[in-house]
Amino acid sequence: MSDDELDPVIHAPARLRIAITLATLDDGDNLSFTRLQELIGLTPGNLITHLRKLEDAGYVSTHKNGSGVTARTSVALTHSGRAALERYTTVLRQLLDSAEKP
Amino acid sequence: MKDGADADAGTPMDVQEAAVIMQDAGDRARQELRLSHRASFLTWGVILLLGYGAMWLNVRGQQPFHGVNPGAFAAVTLLANGAALATVAQARAGSGIGGASALRRRIHFLSLIAGLAGMFVLEGALYRAGASRVVIGIFEAAAPILVAGLFYLASSAPRLDWPMCALGVWLVAVAAGGAFAGPVGIWAVGALAGGLAFLLAGVVEPVLHRA
Repeated sequence: MSDDELDPVIHAPARLRIAITLATLDDGDNLSFTRLQELIGLTPGNLITHLRKLEDAGYVSTHKNGSGVTARTSVALTHSGRAALERYTTVLRQLLDSAEKP
Repeated sequence: MKDGADADAGTPMDVQEAAVIMQDAGDRARQELRLSHRASFLTWGVILLLGYGAMWLNVRGQQPFHGVNPGAFAAVTLLANGAALATVAQARAGSGIGGASALRRRIHFLSLIAGLAGMFVLEGALYRAGASRVVIGIFEAAAPILVAGLFYLASSAPRLDWPMCALGVWLVAVAAGGAFAGPVGIWAVGALAGGLAFLLAGVVEPVLHRA
């Protein structure tokens, strides 16, 4: 087993943080873009870049409500994103276990 | 904050590093995104201590007992619920969480409003049915605490929040037991046993959730 089996969309520090953060929300919940940015510690531009990659893979969904100063962009992990993160966690655990064995 | 080339799109990451990131990000998110009840507990504690304390001062020594001043009672009730609602709304807005659980919380909060509104209607019905001032006096002091106790008890169920469950049970006990203190004593019991319980819950809540 090698690192190549880890989902490359999730296997990047910023995207892993995003996925884990969103996975702590209850099913059906979303997080505002600004709050996610605070928690992850990325610039808005970088966060958008990573979210777009996750969104292209179908792992997150973004919705914009309102307009102007009242606009609120919310981000949520999709069902396939949650499933992908579970697969990623399983593979990662197996890799860590095999690395510990002599 | 990271920017530009440090956006880590192609940054190599070994499995140990990934495991550390998962642990750190998960711990931080759970801690930061947990909706704290501390502010609402402390607000309710102060409201009960001051509001019920003021009502006790208002009825103390009445011979014969004729109850609290209706205007003062209505003002304290409106002020109390306004302050509590504002505290909860502020906490919710700061969390950044929307979606299904936010809607569930709104419906849940509606149960508190409905309970309190029902209490006022019931009080009117008791008055109309000829209940004495003493009976109405006990009811109007005990019922809000009973409603709040049931609200917290029900709120504790979805997340098995044992401190909140204990607070709910305690408030129900304060309302039911305090009624035996009579129409004057119940205000003092509510202020001390109810108010101090909320303040204690506000102090220990963050400690219990960190543990």
